[in-house]
Amino acid sequence: MSTELERAVTETVTEEELEALIGDRALARDDHKNAPGFVVRPDDVQDVLLDLREEAGFDHLSCVTAQQYEDRYESIYHLKKYADPTQEVSVVVPTSVDDPVSQTAEPVFRSADWAEREAFDLVGIDYEGHPDPRRILLPETWQGHPLSLDYDQEKPQIVTLTEHANPIQPDHRDEESDTMFLNIGPHHPATHGVLHVKTVLDGETVADVDPDIGYLHRSEEQMCQQGTYRHQIMPYPDRWDYVSAGILNEWAYARTAEDLADLEVPEYAQVIRTMSAELSRIASHMLALGTFALDVYGDFTAIFQYTFRDREIVQDILEDLTGQRLMFNYFRLGGVAWDLPEPREEFFAKVRDFLDDLPAKVAEYNDLVTSNEIFQIRCVDTGILEPEVAKQYGCTGPVARGSGIDYDLRRDDPYGYYPNLEWNVVTEDGCDNYSRVLVRMQEVEESAKIIEQCIDLLEEWPEDERNIQSNVPRTLKPDADTETYRAVEAAKGELGIYIRSDGTDKPGRFKIRSPSFHNLSALEEMTKGEYIPDLVASLGSLDIVLGEVDR
Amino acid sequence: MLAPLQNGDTYLFPERIADLTGLSEYGTAGDLVAAFIAAFIVGNLMLAMTGVAGPWAKRKITAAFTDRIAVNRIGPFGLLIIVADAVRLLSKENIIPENADRPAYDLAPIVVAGSAMLGFAVIPMGSGVQLADPEVGLAYVFAVSGIASIGLVMAGYASANKYSLLGGLRAVAQNVAYEIPLVVTGMSVVIFAGSLQMSTIVEAQAEPLLTVAGVAIPSWYALINPFAFVLFIMANLAEVGRNPFDIPEAPTEIVAGYQTEYSSVYFVLIYLGEFLHIFLGGALIATIFLGGPAGPVLPGIVWFIIKIWAVFLLTQWFRSAVPRVRIDQLIEIGWKGMLVLAFANFVLTAIIVGLIA
Repeated sequence: MSTELERAVTETVTEEELEALIGDRALARDDHKNAPGFVVRPDDVQDVLLDLREEAGFDHLSCVTAQQYEDRYESIYHLKKYADPTQEVSVVVPTSVDDPVSQTAEPVFRSADWAEREAFDLVGIDYEGHPDPRRILLPETWQGHPLSLDYDQEKPQIVTLTEHANPIQPDHRDEESDTMFLNIGPHHPATHGVLHVKTVLDGETVADVDPDIGYLHRSEEQMCQQGTYRHQIMPYPDRWDYVSAGILNEWAYARTAEDLADLEVPEYAQVIRTMSAELSRIASHMLALGTFALDVYGDFTAIFQYTFRDREIVQDILEDLTGQRLMFNYFRLGGVAWDLPEPREEFFAKVRDFLDDLPAKVAEYNDLVTSNEIFQIRCVDTGILEPEVAKQYGCTGPVARGSGIDYDLRRDDPYGYYPNLEWNVVTEDGCDNYSRVLVRMQEVEESAKIIEQCIDLLEEWPEDERNIQSNVPRTLKPDADTETYRAVEAAKGELGIYIRSDGTDKPGRFKIRSPSFHNLSALEEMTKGEYIPDLVASLGSLDIVLGEVDR
Repeated sequence: MLAPLQNGDTYLFPERIADLTGLSEYGTAGDLVAAFIAAFIVGNLMLAMTGVAGPWAKRKITAAFTDRIAVNRIGPFGLLIIVADAVRLLSKENIIPENADRPAYDLAPIVVAGSAMLGFAVIPMGSGVQLADPEVGLAYVFAVSGIASIGLVMAGYASANKYSLLGGLRAVAQNVAYEIPLVVTGMSVVIFAGSLQMSTIVEAQAEPLLTVAGVAIPSWYALINPFAFVLFIMANLAEVGRNPFDIPEAPTEIVAGYQTEYSSVYFVLIYLGEFLHIFLGGALIATIFLGGPAGPVLPGIVWFIIKIWAVFLLTQWFRSAVPRVRIDQLIEIGWKGMLVLAFANFVLTAIIVGLIA
């Protein structure tokens, strides 16, 4: 890394500097609420993005949003800096309706590979020069692009197996080849859901992997576009990362919508939000540890049961708080649904009991799992993900922090009550499966710290100031063409949402940036040349949830 | 017919049956019938143990390790699950893949289960239960249990499934790597006992090693040479494919390895074979390291079964607590570690025995 770039990465880039950098290539400005936006021509994409990355230090292509207006298609590249995610810039690339061709950003950011495939799949923009322009979520034989305006939403489509590329068909039988094609999934004990990994094996070594996703695609973006801001969208985020990280997901929508409509959140509600989100994170990390142990140990062993035992306590607490165990639907725009359960003392005591027991349990996990020699020889130095590669693929969350990238939106792009609390961002430099496990284990402890402080605050909170929701209009209609992209630190990483309002009470475009989606795209990089067991372990250490990958 | 295999000193189980039933009066034919009856009894004893272990004990043990309760609805302690499971498994449709290579596909489960059964023929189980006592007893057990590898390869290859193939290949690689340390470690016991004959090995362990406060501690080879004992247990774990060496099955990696495509009765046979192998391993460990059926108060056969189950418990403990090693690591441990240690132990034992005796 040149010194100039280092400076660019850490220094704040002003809008004037950005304007100067992009210069004539900017056709117009299209500012979003979160960031300045520059409209560029479809054949300038790589040029502009490269300059922004090399000269201005925007090294994180967080999200690619594609959408169709009456008169044009539009791709938006949401750029951030890993060093300071509050610095953002949007590159808006309009293309004509008749010929929606735009230059690919893949050579500059690897994360654009999958992101642009999705944009092509759902919206229908062609990316010129894309190395792998296939559909990604829908079957190859799907007709039309569901989020484009001319798509007939009513018409059912049946994509039969014979039309669809048959997953058991390719059977590399040519004489020359000494590799074997193996379908891992979509039904396989270690794919954490319906993931299909097309694998080419050379003996026991993985020669090539190609994750095939989309089996759990439920049109979440479109469903959100058909719901009203105020009430109908909030239940959906629970269903993205559905393994108990629901509250973290809800916060992503709450943050974006509140930013879009300029809603305030009372401080008391922020504390409750922070506490419940961290409980969710503990539950999610417990599950991650348990399933990772399952992948490495090879059976439903004691560890899996122990993690579920502890996760169960968190679920009970969350049930007391929200009334639900998985699909919480607890956040509301401008606050939360209701106050802590009565009697409050009982709730506090329950949470404190859990927190008091937690250190001993974490120590137990360290005894049982992380200090086990066999576990170590299986996990140390396997599934290597170098920090530079991780940034290229837009990896975030524990996966990025396990590669030594000090990036946590709770601290770097503060929201909620996090800035007022004492806690640390955990990073490990090992870049391997082991580091990712360690990061999650330590994050559990950090989350516990946060919860404890929140509980202290909530206990002291004066009764007449317990305001759980600000005044939010019954029908929320943000001004037309307001656009914003906001992200929170979900269990798996940066969960971002882009919303464009069209003046009605429903979003014009609702785009979800899923951390699992981007983390999974790095799988190939991590596992090529390793053994099958390491492929399975690496997949486990990424801690993907297919509900979030496929949406 | 069985005469060449028999040692005149031991009163074997078939002879006992023949005398008890009066079959001995009918000459060779009577001996043969008696031998069949004896084999039937021993075989059923082992199958019954497997029946208890597979559907019930394994679940209960694993549940105890993982904070669960496991089967408890059918019968006392859920014991009748054995019946329910047997009916369920046998009534399943036997699905045979289209491209399966028959009859190899059909033979494989029989080979896997049968090879383990054969091994029990020479094990002295105490209370006079021993089917045969050839002079090459130990070598015979290693030989027949080694046949299982062929069954695994057959199963893996004949299923026409890539996961099965991988599992079969892994099974061979693993068995080749661990059979040698297993046999060499077993041989170190032979040096002590001076015989391959099972009854002699057991007798040699009956002598008291030392007496502590009036209690005579027997000279079990596990006490004389604990190093060999541990080595043998480890190699045996790999031999029967249990954690940390369960990579031929490796459920999270290659689904179920060589048994992926087997269903219904065939699946039962393969599963049976696996448990029989664990029990055979336990029987072997009990015989050559733990004094066979020796033990105070209780009859020999009870002690013998207790010892076998102790080994079974150990494998289940490993299964619940130890991660699986990777295939390359397994081979490395086998060839670079276990083999060297096994030979070191062998040479050391030879020197010690040579110096003392």
